[in-house]
Amino acid sequence: MSRSTTLIAILTGTLLALGLGAYWLTAASDATDLQTSLSVSEAMGSDTTGYRRATKVRPFTFPADHGPHPGYKTEWWYVTGNLTGPEAQSYGYEFTLFRIGLTPPDAAPDSTPSDWRTNQLYMGHFAVTDGTSETFHAFERFQRGGAGLAGAQANPFRVWLEDWSMASTGASTFPVQLHAQTEGVGVNLTLDPTKPRVLQGDRGLSQKGPGAGNASYYYSYTRLATEGTVTLDGDTLSVSGQSWMDREWSTSALGPDQEGWDWFSLQLDDGRDLMYYQLRRTDGTPSAFSEGVIVAPDGSTTTLSRSDVSLEVLDTWTSPDGTHTYPVEWTLRVPGKDIDLHVIPLFPDQELNVSVRYWEGAVRVEGSTSGRGYVEMTGYGESPGSPVS
Amino acid sequence: MSLLQRSSRRYLTRHPWLMGLSVLGVAIGVAVVVAIDLANTSASRAFQLSAETVTGTATHQVVGTGETLDDDVYRRLREAGVRPSAPVVEGYGTLRRGDRTFQVIGIDPLADAAFRPYLGTGASGDLDLGTFMTQDVALMSAPTAADLAVSSEDTLRVEIEGTTHAVAVAGLIEPRNERTRRAVANLLVVDVSTAQRLFGQDGRLSRIDLLAPSDDAARAVYLDGVRRALPDGARLQRSDTRTETVTQMTEAFDLNLTALSLLALIVGAFLIYNTMTFSIVQRRGLLGRLRALGVTRGQVFRLVLGEAAVLGLVGSALGLLLGVVLASGLVQLLAQTINDLYFVVEVSEVTVAPWTLAKGALLGLGTTLLAALPPAREATNAPVSTVLRRSTQEAALRRWAPWWAGVGVLVMGGGGLLLLGTQQSIWAGYGALFCLLVGAALLTPLAVVALASGARPLLGRLTGVIGRMAARGVVTNLSRTGVAIAALTVAIAATVGVGIMIDSFRGTVSDWLEQSLQADVYVQPPSLVFRRSTATLDSSVVRRLRAVEGVAGAYSVRRVRVQARVGPTELVAVEPGPETEDIYQFRDGRPDTAWPAVRTGASVLISEPYSYRYDLGVGDSLRLQTDRGQRPFAIRGVYYDYGSDLGVVLMSRSTYEQYYDDRGVSGLAFTAADTTSVDALIADMRASVAGLQDVLIRSNRALRETSMRVFDRTFTITTVLRLLAIAVAFIGVLTALMALALERRREMGVLRATGMTPPQVGGYLTLQSSLMGAIAGILSLPLGYVLAYVLVFVINKRSFGWTLQLSVPADVLMQALVLAVVAALLAGLYPTWRMARASPALALQDG
Repeated sequence: MSRSTTLIAILTGTLLALGLGAYWLTAASDATDLQTSLSVSEAMGSDTTGYRRATKVRPFTFPADHGPHPGYKTEWWYVTGNLTGPEAQSYGYEFTLFRIGLTPPDAAPDSTPSDWRTNQLYMGHFAVTDGTSETFHAFERFQRGGAGLAGAQANPFRVWLEDWSMASTGASTFPVQLHAQTEGVGVNLTLDPTKPRVLQGDRGLSQKGPGAGNASYYYSYTRLATEGTVTLDGDTLSVSGQSWMDREWSTSALGPDQEGWDWFSLQLDDGRDLMYYQLRRTDGTPSAFSEGVIVAPDGSTTTLSRSDVSLEVLDTWTSPDGTHTYPVEWTLRVPGKDIDLHVIPLFPDQELNVSVRYWEGAVRVEGSTSGRGYVEMTGYGESPGSPVS
Repeated sequence: MSLLQRSSRRYLTRHPWLMGLSVLGVAIGVAVVVAIDLANTSASRAFQLSAETVTGTATHQVVGTGETLDDDVYRRLREAGVRPSAPVVEGYGTLRRGDRTFQVIGIDPLADAAFRPYLGTGASGDLDLGTFMTQDVALMSAPTAADLAVSSEDTLRVEIEGTTHAVAVAGLIEPRNERTRRAVANLLVVDVSTAQRLFGQDGRLSRIDLLAPSDDAARAVYLDGVRRALPDGARLQRSDTRTETVTQMTEAFDLNLTALSLLALIVGAFLIYNTMTFSIVQRRGLLGRLRALGVTRGQVFRLVLGEAAVLGLVGSALGLLLGVVLASGLVQLLAQTINDLYFVVEVSEVTVAPWTLAKGALLGLGTTLLAALPPAREATNAPVSTVLRRSTQEAALRRWAPWWAGVGVLVMGGGGLLLLGTQQSIWAGYGALFCLLVGAALLTPLAVVALASGARPLLGRLTGVIGRMAARGVVTNLSRTGVAIAALTVAIAATVGVGIMIDSFRGTVSDWLEQSLQADVYVQPPSLVFRRSTATLDSSVVRRLRAVEGVAGAYSVRRVRVQARVGPTELVAVEPGPETEDIYQFRDGRPDTAWPAVRTGASVLISEPYSYRYDLGVGDSLRLQTDRGQRPFAIRGVYYDYGSDLGVVLMSRSTYEQYYDDRGVSGLAFTAADTTSVDALIADMRASVAGLQDVLIRSNRALRETSMRVFDRTFTITTVLRLLAIAVAFIGVLTALMALALERRREMGVLRATGMTPPQVGGYLTLQSSLMGAIAGILSLPLGYVLAYVLVFVINKRSFGWTLQLSVPADVLMQALVLAVVAALLAGLYPTWRMARASPALALQDG
């Protein structure tokens, strides 16, 4: 090779090397992945220091107690119901608004003019079960309890998360209107109780675990006449049926050795309503703190303890991804009350695969009497035991 | 290696100085182009990246009339089921530690995951909501935290518009790759509530991010739904609109920098042209002999181009290296200028784009080859017999000089037509400028003949026969001197033109400031963008300052960015006082009728650049987005304003308050009572707001000085470019003249042999090269003036729409002459020294 060719070759090589070097220095992949390390604390974490606890029986005052109790870590307005469409189709719905205190009440947020600043977090779960087509639709939303985006108030009664709301329609608390709408699926229902309010547990103090404070304040409306519309796939149908409303607030409910619960709310055709929850221990056995109530047609109540009730699983169902297996068919007996029920879901797949996975579904009841109801099961997978604990 | 190549190598290595300097000329030219391009790319990339980071995946945004919108709009959108959607409050803050500017973005961690997934928010994220939402805390990039020696839970002191806030670090964002590392390097992520507090924007958002479906039909339905949910004053736009707007802001500025950098390359190209021409002329005998021996034209042509390619390659490679080094300096200057004029951008590093390097290398090599084409053709076209005799060519050249001049005039005329035929094109302006330079270069040989002939009697009277010989020599060697002088003239003229342009600009701005700053004291919050301060004064600061004793009059100014039908617009609302009418000089419109209209009704004034940019004038109507919807405003006048090249719309405060809900104040101007001294008033004012917002309280003079300082800062980069062009020109003069002198060894030998002493020969050489330098210097002055004229009245007008007063500073002209003559003198020294030592006998042997 001649000298000048060599020179040119060397120069070209140098240029090429320069270019490649520069490219190597600056080239970066286009993936925008970042990771936040740091700040580990679950929004709904288990640190309960500084919150108020449900330690003793308290007098309830209404309508004030329909409103929020921000001193406690978690609270919910929980409604489920079984509805019948114009052509006798069966529908179920769950609409729950949760309130979560992010920080203890005395650790007041910094003083700031911004009404976005709040330590109150709201979570909404909304699910509709279509018994005819055996389809299940579930939705979840979060919002801060500030800037008017979400919140709760007692008088006039209103709990809302953006356009999802439950609110009084007039001057008195009831009737309450439920409104939840998402793309293609929604409910718009008016609820009016046909039985008086029931204070659960010991006059509204519901002990969930050993030790003072491992309890919640808990009251229910076990039967509410329900009228309104259900929207599915864009079709709006008028429906009627019965709903159940639970109100509960607490700071710490489950003990460390409790992993979840199976909770039944059944409206029987003989006019009685039955609530029973079984708290499961980590070894699978039911906890002694499991309890329930039977509400007679006239509204009088009988408390049930674990020994009054026998519960047997007849069938299980595993979620499509194979990670969660839930019991889905039960025998529930209360021998002392002539109750021997076969509890069957409208169909098995009624799992809410949201930030916390749980099964909450419409069921029908056969046996000593017929009826309808809802069952909630938590703690059957690797995720934490409850939506909000 | 063939014989031809060997001869070529021999020639190149025998003239190391000549070749070295030419290579250096190309290298600097390429370096300047590459450096400017890299600096521009880095700045815009830094901005793009930060914009993309903050925009995230959003396809659309809802924005307000001004900078912010009511957060009730977000509530409405959520209730109308517009999801995903996320509120954003954003702005800039300066970190005390490290004195670094950060983009502060306030987000809702519950709604943000779909838009900025890298922040780790959302239900499945590991962000501590309890801390993030309830305290003044921020997330920052982990590498940045390491740079600043900040650790998690440290408290940062963030200064925003003069108020310092304590913000704790709640977490570190761990970028997983280089791109994201850059993207989040200058980002502080806070909760919406924190951002509202930091920016004093309670109840207001900067914007709402939306994610429209990608399917066309679904998107149309979706956007329709969003529009229906929006109240008056809120507007839906594509999320890239903002980036586009910002990019457009600096478009003219970037273009001018690029063009100026190309000027350096063109000067470099003239050097190459000069060197190659010179080498051909010098080897004419050799080439003639080669041709006579049977070497073909093609071979000679390739030989010459090959030499040029080697020079170009070496020069470009050096230039690329130099350019990258230069860019790291320039990028900070550029970022500073953009921050002063347009928007906040923090450029922490130079992005070395492979494309820029490739472009630079191609440009360097291409320009060199192009510049070598004419000499290569010259070497091959002439018949063998004439190539062997130089005298014929000199005679021909002298005969042709008037024709060349004619062609030069035609080229210049073409440039003129290019200007007349276009209205706004900046590239056409630079095209005309290029025509002007080429035309002037073609005119140069004739001018040299005329000037040298004119100088002969004068030099003869001063220095006798040597002087006459020197002048005569310039003409008789026209084939060499003509080209060299043309190259020098162009190089020097370019620096003269840019020099005059900067000075004219400065003079105009200085006069304008004198005119427009008539109050005694000016108060502003500190702002990150000097010329476009939209920061807000604290309302208690405003109240207290107005109440200070000794204040005779107080006038507020509000600056906001609003949306006009024609585009994003800076709106200024003033309280017209008695002096106001003197402050604004009208270009169009009648002050006596315009002001009453502006004071009372829906009428506005617009600044000259605004009028130019959007082709609006008196009598036109301007539609502005207001809080009452889109409203028309009558344009009553166009006034001179050099504060913003983006243009400004001015309305009275009362009109502003009628159409906008905003009651903020961006600045205050005070006149002092006759009994109070301005200094005392300023001291009182400072005392009255001590402990509140940290505002800038400045006297008329101090503000003017600051403004001029900023002006000079924004022109630093232009000045640097000019200095680099001067460096190239200097190298050019040195190379050309030194080469000429060295080449005349034989002639000197004859002179020595006929009895001239070494000092006499040295004097002859030095005199001749000084004469050439002086001719180039003198020719460059009128050319430089014409260049300045085009730069000021065409390029600047087309780029920014300003009318400037052309002023010719004596120092710029002197600089040009001194540059030319000093370089020429230096060029004469080395050959003189060699000549004096060389034996005449050796020199007489034809080399």
